[in-house]
Amino acid sequence: MRSHTIAASLILAGGVVCAAFVGCENQHEAQEKKAAAGNLGASASLADLMKARNLNESDVEAALKTYVPTGKMDEYYIFASGGQSGNVDVIGVPSMRMLKVIGVFTPESWQGYGYGGDSDKVLESGNQGAFGWPGAPHKIRWADMHHPNLSETKGDYDGQFLFVNDKANARVAVVDLADFSTKQIVANPLAASDHGGAFVTPNTDYVIETSQYPAPLGREYAPLSQYKEKYRGVAIFWKFDRTKGRIDPAQSWALELPPYTQDLADAGKLDSDGWAFINSFNTEMAIGGTIDGKPPIESGSSQNDMDYLHVINWKKAESLVAAGKAKIIAGMRVLTMDVSAPEGVLSLIGEPKSPHGCDVTPDGKAIVVGGKLDTHATIYDVAKIKALVEAKKYEGKDAYGVGILPFKDSIQGQVEVGLGPLHTVFDDKGNAFTSVFIESVVAKWSYKDFKQPVEKLKVHYNIGHILSAEGDTVSPDGKYLVAMNKMSMDRFLPVGPLYPQNFQLVDLTGEKMRLIADMPIGNAEPHYSQMIKADKLKPLKVYKPGTNSVTMSVDPNHAEGGKERIVRNGNKVEVFMTAIRSHFTPDQIEVDEGDDVTIHITSLETAEDQTHGFTIDMYNLNVSLEPGKNENISFKADMPGTFPMYCTEFCSALHLEMTGYFLVKPKKK
Amino acid sequence: MSAEEKAAPPRAKDGHVHLHLAPSASEGSSSKRGWDRTRWLVVVCGVASVLLFAISFFRPWWSFKLYAPQYPQGLNLEISLTGMGGDVHEIDLLNHYIGMKHLATAAQVERHLAGYGVAAIGIVTLSLVMVAGKKLNRLLVVPALAFPSVFLADSFYWLYSYGHQLDPKAPLHIAPFTPEMFGNGKIGQFETFASPSLGFWLAVAGALLAVIGAVVRSRVCAGCSRAGTCAAVCPRLMVLPDAPVRP
Repeated sequence: MRSHTIAASLILAGGVVCAAFVGCENQHEAQEKKAAAGNLGASASLADLMKARNLNESDVEAALKTYVPTGKMDEYYIFASGGQSGNVDVIGVPSMRMLKVIGVFTPESWQGYGYGGDSDKVLESGNQGAFGWPGAPHKIRWADMHHPNLSETKGDYDGQFLFVNDKANARVAVVDLADFSTKQIVANPLAASDHGGAFVTPNTDYVIETSQYPAPLGREYAPLSQYKEKYRGVAIFWKFDRTKGRIDPAQSWALELPPYTQDLADAGKLDSDGWAFINSFNTEMAIGGTIDGKPPIESGSSQNDMDYLHVINWKKAESLVAAGKAKIIAGMRVLTMDVSAPEGVLSLIGEPKSPHGCDVTPDGKAIVVGGKLDTHATIYDVAKIKALVEAKKYEGKDAYGVGILPFKDSIQGQVEVGLGPLHTVFDDKGNAFTSVFIESVVAKWSYKDFKQPVEKLKVHYNIGHILSAEGDTVSPDGKYLVAMNKMSMDRFLPVGPLYPQNFQLVDLTGEKMRLIADMPIGNAEPHYSQMIKADKLKPLKVYKPGTNSVTMSVDPNHAEGGKERIVRNGNKVEVFMTAIRSHFTPDQIEVDEGDDVTIHITSLETAEDQTHGFTIDMYNLNVSLEPGKNENISFKADMPGTFPMYCTEFCSALHLEMTGYFLVKPKKK
Repeated sequence: MSAEEKAAPPRAKDGHVHLHLAPSASEGSSSKRGWDRTRWLVVVCGVASVLLFAISFFRPWWSFKLYAPQYPQGLNLEISLTGMGGDVHEIDLLNHYIGMKHLATAAQVERHLAGYGVAAIGIVTLSLVMVAGKKLNRLLVVPALAFPSVFLADSFYWLYSYGHQLDPKAPLHIAPFTPEMFGNGKIGQFETFASPSLGFWLAVAGALLAVIGAVVRSRVCAGCSRAGTCAAVCPRLMVLPDAPVRP
């Protein structure tokens, strides 16, 4: 519209004053809105309100579709990766209100996550080092969180657990949705970064984590001149123990991959159950060298018109590992390519070009790959792929002996979706929705009959990931879709040069997609997110008295009302403390400088939303004490002085009075 | 000036005013003063033309506007005779994806020589106005017309050349193309709109004035009393009085 107008004025006038054009357009829009408001036929007051707020009928409809009045609740949860914040954002749909930020890889002080309580151990377990490195592992307290994945049963979300990966430090975390808190961080011993994670198999037997930037397995040093020989990709299959709610590293194993830059991944389901698919780019194995005038990796890695989709028969891999065919590297069982390739566990298929998203269709019969530098979404046929692997119909092998399946015989078709296709999600009617980055649109097309995009919806701007209601399960809901835009530019009030991201809610219930709400994400750049029906989650309202929220069982050291005490044993001081409106018992603690202090603090509250907090000033300590929760706080009283301790959550009318003193007597000189 | 000329100029059907710049043969014989004024008109046209050229030198000649979803305000590129302005950095940055050379490397010689070129055109135009005799007076239009034309041709050449010398090692491979110089085009996700800017229009106006000057000039020369003796150099230098030539 805009382009035609400007083109016309160019041709007519032989020149154009842009400001005038923009002015005209705005005027035009305003007139449209005015006209629409007049046509609504709504009550006079509503019409006046629309006029006063400069809203048209479509705006009002969007408002009605998204407004959730007080006392009513959202229909869906979104679990969004918090990107560089390292934490998970929980958002309600359709209101697009932030419900919670769950501390995962990064200390979160409201939840007391990583500020002296039991969760410190969770963060500690995510420390990373390099194989064979004698130094202490680095304390890592941030993450580049990418892809949250909800636990599944038979390919459908079951609302029990959430898995997230940390691209920067190759880690996976487990969040228990019983209390929305992080239970485990697993540090990958092999990869130096990850991207294809955390994707779950249909019954959450495994959480898949695939490396991104190749490095020697175990991250040991090797010069870049040995890139092809020593650098590798790797896919970890983390075994998830649902009863314990933990990943079991001892039962987990890995697959060695060629040093292509593996990207997104997905686990097969239904027809493709037992298989996993991983994209790659930089099959050129470019390593840059810009300072020496060599081409940067961005161009070096974009020379080939085809990269490789990795096809993994993980069920077979599992049996090979069980049969002892794996090699131990950095303490982990790794099925190397010399074993996996001849067995057909690992195969490659060409995919155009530097692709990004790799998404299995709800029926499990196809995999949709977004071309990124190619304008197509390519649809691979699972049945054809299985038959080709079975018959070992390879058209060749790569430098690592991995068989390459013929591209043309592996696909169902291609759909031209636009410039820069990335990720694809699905609805319940056989439609696929592909995020098209460069064009900043959502392209809707049918994955049943590969119709060309029936529809494109402009989003603002540079859409990365995309999600729809349960849109990557075996039974998507349709209904809602969210465009996760990397740029917001002119959509929100300016807040300085670092702009919020923009989540745009799209209504899928009508004939056409409709944009109905914008939500600024002002705490990081989210990547993938998932949307789950709210009634699938049954979170706790209070903890069972004395619960350790990391173990989710009653802590053996929890304090009980009437049995509070301070126990001194040499220079070890143990405090059994309770918190209840509006006091701590004990509320006076005196220790000697240098004592090792442990405070077991338990909330005796039982009513929902009666939360306390506990801090000792200047000691960098804060825990959150939800009803029934116990926290074990250990530290050295290395700083003599007088320190108030108090409740950090406004708990009651006498909240300010919920205080006490922690005294540290100086050593005698 | 005749009474007819003093009256408000009549409007033609198309709404334009058609000025009678040169006197008709009958007027020429009746008004010697008007004849001289016509001579001055030639000089004014020539000087104004050169002035417009000079101003155009300091103004942008061509503007490109590029729209993409992520650039709702659009990106601007303004080409002048000596360089370019606007979002050159950002456009270069985007162009690297398709392997286009940096814009600043284009037309370097032309841009360095532009100042001398404009000066030369000015001098030649003025000289032709003042000095050229009957045989050369039509040449007046050549430098003036050449000025915007050469710019157009040269710009087209560079657009073509940059669109056809894409680095094959660039991340995005696209078919060679010539960016549109007039109106709208499309490159990738960008809608482009190109149009002449003030500088170009000034130069065109300057060229038109030169053409008008030349046309008037030929009428002047045709009715000049020294037409018989005039050769390469105007014996009256356009404006000297029509006194008899001294032996």
